[in-house]
Amino acid sequence: MSVRAVLGLAALNGAYLILGVMLLWALRGLRRWSDVLRLAGLGYLVGVAAFGTVWTQLLVVRLPFGGWGLVLTLAGGTAAAGAAGVLLGRPRPRGFVDTDRPASAASLLVAAAGVALTGLLLEALFRSARLQSLQAYDAWAFWVPKGKAIYDFGGLDQQVFTTFPNATYPPLVPILDAAAFHAMGSADVVTFHLQYWFLVVGATAAIAGCLYRHVPAWLLWPSLVLVFTVPRIASGLLVPQADVLVDVLFVAGALLLALWLRDGRGWRLAAAAVLLAGAGLTKREGLLFAAAALAVALAASYGRHRVVWLRLLTVAAVVGAAALPWRPADAGAGGSIDRLLDALRLSFDVLFDTALWSVVPLVALIALGAAFAWGDRRVAAYLAALLGLVFLGGAWVTYAFRELPITAQESANPIVRYTGAFVLLSAVATLLLLASVWRSGTEDLQ
Amino acid sequence: MYDVLQRWLSAGVGTRRLLVVFCVAVTLVALVVRYPDALHDADETARANAALDFVDRAVGAGNSVFPDQRLLVEARGLIPPDESFAVSVGDPQPGWTDLTASSAELFLRSYLLPRRLDPNARWVVCLACDRDAHPGAVAVWEGDEGLAILRLAS
Repeated sequence: MSVRAVLGLAALNGAYLILGVMLLWALRGLRRWSDVLRLAGLGYLVGVAAFGTVWTQLLVVRLPFGGWGLVLTLAGGTAAAGAAGVLLGRPRPRGFVDTDRPASAASLLVAAAGVALTGLLLEALFRSARLQSLQAYDAWAFWVPKGKAIYDFGGLDQQVFTTFPNATYPPLVPILDAAAFHAMGSADVVTFHLQYWFLVVGATAAIAGCLYRHVPAWLLWPSLVLVFTVPRIASGLLVPQADVLVDVLFVAGALLLALWLRDGRGWRLAAAAVLLAGAGLTKREGLLFAAAALAVALAASYGRHRVVWLRLLTVAAVVGAAALPWRPADAGAGGSIDRLLDALRLSFDVLFDTALWSVVPLVALIALGAAFAWGDRRVAAYLAALLGLVFLGGAWVTYAFRELPITAQESANPIVRYTGAFVLLSAVATLLLLASVWRSGTEDLQ
Repeated sequence: MYDVLQRWLSAGVGTRRLLVVFCVAVTLVALVVRYPDALHDADETARANAALDFVDRAVGAGNSVFPDQRLLVEARGLIPPDESFAVSVGDPQPGWTDLTASSAELFLRSYLLPRRLDPNARWVVCLACDRDAHPGAVAVWEGDEGLAILRLAS
């Protein structure tokens, strides 16, 4: 590990951040610097997803991936987003304090405590990541070699991308790895764990920033900190595989769709399209998650104007078009009814295993019930249906791929890793749902 | 049943908020239990990672696959990055791990990139291999437990 490598990674991730924030500025405008700060995490995820999605297409048409290509893509993308913002007449951010929405001293204190607790955890994770050796089987067996191949050979090397295990997995994570190697100046598989630390920081900031105006601080921070400390999520945060990133991109996209159902702001759809396209190119189940989120959003917007459906179908077309150049996944062959029941039982057991996920799914179920009774029923229906589909998707994976044994052992069946998406989504859903229940009380009082 | 549902749906503000407070309380209790453990685990991992030497860190999972990490270090040093290599595995030897025979080739393919795997390469990573199967090969490095790096005359 060298300081140069760490600084290179910091610069690369700073470039993702600037690209994404510029895209958000073009999409919605950012009136104040506090808006920039609030949406910086979301901007970072949008930047990562946009970069990975564009480079997937470029690699498929055999454009070489090199240091200059990397710089040109990031600089060109940022400039293009800036030009679009200027053409759309977006004003530059001015001032910091949002006088329309003053924050109380109590909520600032809670937010400060939440940031401090999260910061402590992230600091420990940083120290862990910067000297982490490559240990996880999937990481050294195919994720990292694919990244090294893109770095070393400048493209989708035929030997690596056809003969290594899980050759058909999409390439967004190897592209991010290859970019990290370029930024560090070598294929340093120790320091590059910091790339995954940056993704965790970005994800935390994205979820907190998206929910900041929709959920009171005292409700937001305990759940947010808890979700990054539950055993199975905490242990997987820095593993250089695609699981955490696909979950984060999907959940951020699904969250934007939920907020769009509530306020109909178009920029949320555009940002969700980028995030869900990124999820589809991160892992095979990312496409399943994206399809589920868009299908449920279509159903939840039933009865609204036809234009709404047209917009959602456009998002679906963007996500589908982004995934199209990559090879489709094997759909699996299925099995007997007994196997289906066993798969459902396994998914259920894994989901409610508190040793893996603490109380997060249980609290989400209570929040769903409460929101259906007293809160925002449209958003509750959207989130309940999406959670249901994600759950069934996990059972389907076990059912359809007959070579997978019915077991929660991670080396034999991916159900535990898969369930991470459900748990992260349920944590975010809980916040939105409980906030709507709390506010429904306020509305009754007024 | 219908009455219970009706009462539930028409619950007052206090009941609704009590439920929200209950959920937050459960979350806080879980956080109080989990947070110290998560922080401790991350801290312990950081200490363990810092305690590793440079080679242990660079080899990573290879330490579980190969009985002697010198093979990996030597392979990277001896085989030029633009050349290819073959892997030849013989009968398991005392000192090999459970993963040596089954995972050595895959690990070497990953670890030695950009060197490519090619069965006809002039470099052979030999794990207790049948040397007669590689006529003319010279051992440029030899370790214990049958580990060697061979080079065929070009």
